[in-house]
Amino acid sequence: MTRLRSFIGVPLVAGLGLLLVMAGCASKSVRSGGNTATLQQDRGVSGQEAPDLSLSGQDGGGLRGLDKNPSEERVGSNALIAKADPGSAARQFDELRAEQAASAAAGLRDVFFAFDSFVITEEGRQALSRNAEWVKSNQGMQLKIEGHCDERGTSAYNLVLGEKRAKAARNYLVELGVPPGQLSVVSYGKERPFCKEHDESCYSQNRRAHLVVKGGR
Amino acid sequence: MSSKTVIIGLCVSVGLVWIIESQATDVFLEATRPDFQKIPVGVIGIADAGGPDSPEGRIKLGLRIEEVLKADLRRSLVFSLVDVAGLGVKASALGTEPHPSFKQATEQGASVIVWGKAGMRSEDKDADVNMEAYVYDAGSDEMVGGKRYVGSPSVARLMAHRFADELVFRYTGEPGIARTKIAYVAEQGAARELFVMDYDGYEPRQVTADGFLNLMPRWSPDRRFLVFTAYRHRNTQTIDMIELATGKRWTLVSLGGLNITPTLSPDGNFLAFASSYEGNSELYRMDTRTKIVQRLTVNAAGDLSPTWSPSGRELAFVSDRSGGPQIFLMSGDGTNVRRLTFEGDYNAAPAWSPRGNWIAYVCRTPRKEYKLCLMTPDGQKRVQLTTGPGVDDSPSWSPDGRHLVFSSTVEGRSHIYMINADGKDLERITHTGTHNSAPAWSPAS
Repeated sequence: MTRLRSFIGVPLVAGLGLLLVMAGCASKSVRSGGNTATLQQDRGVSGQEAPDLSLSGQDGGGLRGLDKNPSEERVGSNALIAKADPGSAARQFDELRAEQAASAAAGLRDVFFAFDSFVITEEGRQALSRNAEWVKSNQGMQLKIEGHCDERGTSAYNLVLGEKRAKAARNYLVELGVPPGQLSVVSYGKERPFCKEHDESCYSQNRRAHLVVKGGR
Repeated sequence: MSSKTVIIGLCVSVGLVWIIESQATDVFLEATRPDFQKIPVGVIGIADAGGPDSPEGRIKLGLRIEEVLKADLRRSLVFSLVDVAGLGVKASALGTEPHPSFKQATEQGASVIVWGKAGMRSEDKDADVNMEAYVYDAGSDEMVGGKRYVGSPSVARLMAHRFADELVFRYTGEPGIARTKIAYVAEQGAARELFVMDYDGYEPRQVTADGFLNLMPRWSPDRRFLVFTAYRHRNTQTIDMIELATGKRWTLVSLGGLNITPTLSPDGNFLAFASSYEGNSELYRMDTRTKIVQRLTVNAAGDLSPTWSPSGRELAFVSDRSGGPQIFLMSGDGTNVRRLTFEGDYNAAPAWSPRGNWIAYVCRTPRKEYKLCLMTPDGQKRVQLTTGPGVDDSPSWSPDGRHLVFSSTVEGRSHIYMINADGKDLERITHTGTHNSAPAWSPAS
């Protein structure tokens, strides 16, 4: 019972920590618990014009009750859903193909991980050393490190794990002298698997940091 | 450990025999309602009122609507279906008035009798569909009333759903779930896109078509919008919002790093989400009107997957600050943090019941299976809801708090399943596609 009541985390520290980390950025004022800090979004909050989401009262769902002399009630579709806009699908597809081609030409090597782990193995270090040489001799090229996970565990937690894997690979490349500015990370969790079988030989393929030559934005 | 101690303590006070019994039994009864007796309803039928010779689709219209209605009544958990063939009455012989034999309905075990008819208005295949249905209360020997619906053939199922919800509303004062929707993620080639379907798995509609990843949708309280994690720029994540009726889309959060697990507070005033903008994944909340962002968690570990209590005053979330992922609780402003789960080394994806009494989550069993568990917010009771192989993920409550949807690979491919909060009536609700995941049940209308 005592453990249920253990308190972790103090909001005051939150405010101060944010203040320290974010000193120098200026975009939006953040107020929390009396402390003011700033928080900058990559491209700003593009949802400035987003509609008000606060619930202003429900319409009762259009139920009118059972009636002894029911009048005719017209039933329309209760949740009109617009046709999906395939706006960026073709561009995504083209960019993906270009990325794959460039990455294959560069001969980049992926890094593989143990279950639930983001520790770089000896084999992984060797792969990253070769990748580091390539990046250093191709200045101006941008390398993207994708974190991937096997299908076990929740989608959400695997996104966090995937980011830890990608960052572990990035940090090792930086240790090897790769300029951080040439590296970016993104986590795909278990959402873009390389194979789909439910066995360890497939799982081990999906637990990886995948290195690609970055294209597009 | 501590929760077990408490349960044993409770059992001792009831009687020593209980200690050996499964701790689940008493919890299951309470998971719906401790003293709730289902209302036995007899559906005489929905007769075909077709008119002249007709294509197959029309001949079967009445039966189709009848089957949807019966499934809705069964899933409501408010009614139980009773066979009333013994009354010897056919729906086609009935009008708007109860049949004299209905006075014997209680002998057949039925408290409520339902009948009706449905048909096309004319021979034209695009003609409107008419449905009418009536309700008789055998307990009071009274006609309760009826409904008359008209609409295009595409809303025939919806007519049955509306009528089921009217019945639930008449007998419980609650809006029912037959017209609710489920948002989910479906694989489209190498992409994953958002879809919305009826709560019974019918009428799937594609919402996004980006050609890449869209993940973990959540509804706005008014059901008009979904918030979700998008990768419109492949190399970065954003938290986006889409208006279902128009397809209009906004980017709400575009901090660096992870921008995941967004969820709107029950009043719509706050968006809670996780971002790794400052290094590791932390929880934030954004005021949806002022757009001011406040950080809620501070530690070197990963914090993610916030879920609001129905009052909006508290959040449950996942943190790996003590090693593996565990469920924690805190106030909506980030204060008063305490750990909720202690059993097992992997507990994640919490979902707070709209009734407030349970938090559903994914628990890793001693056999390393990822299954659904329930725990009371005071940590006193814990129940494992699903068993067997495969990975269960993303539990989401029905607005009446009596059901959960979740994804599971129990049959191989990931599909979406529905289960009662008492662990009964497991039902698969997606049957096509290569990978369906991340279901989110809409609020009631």
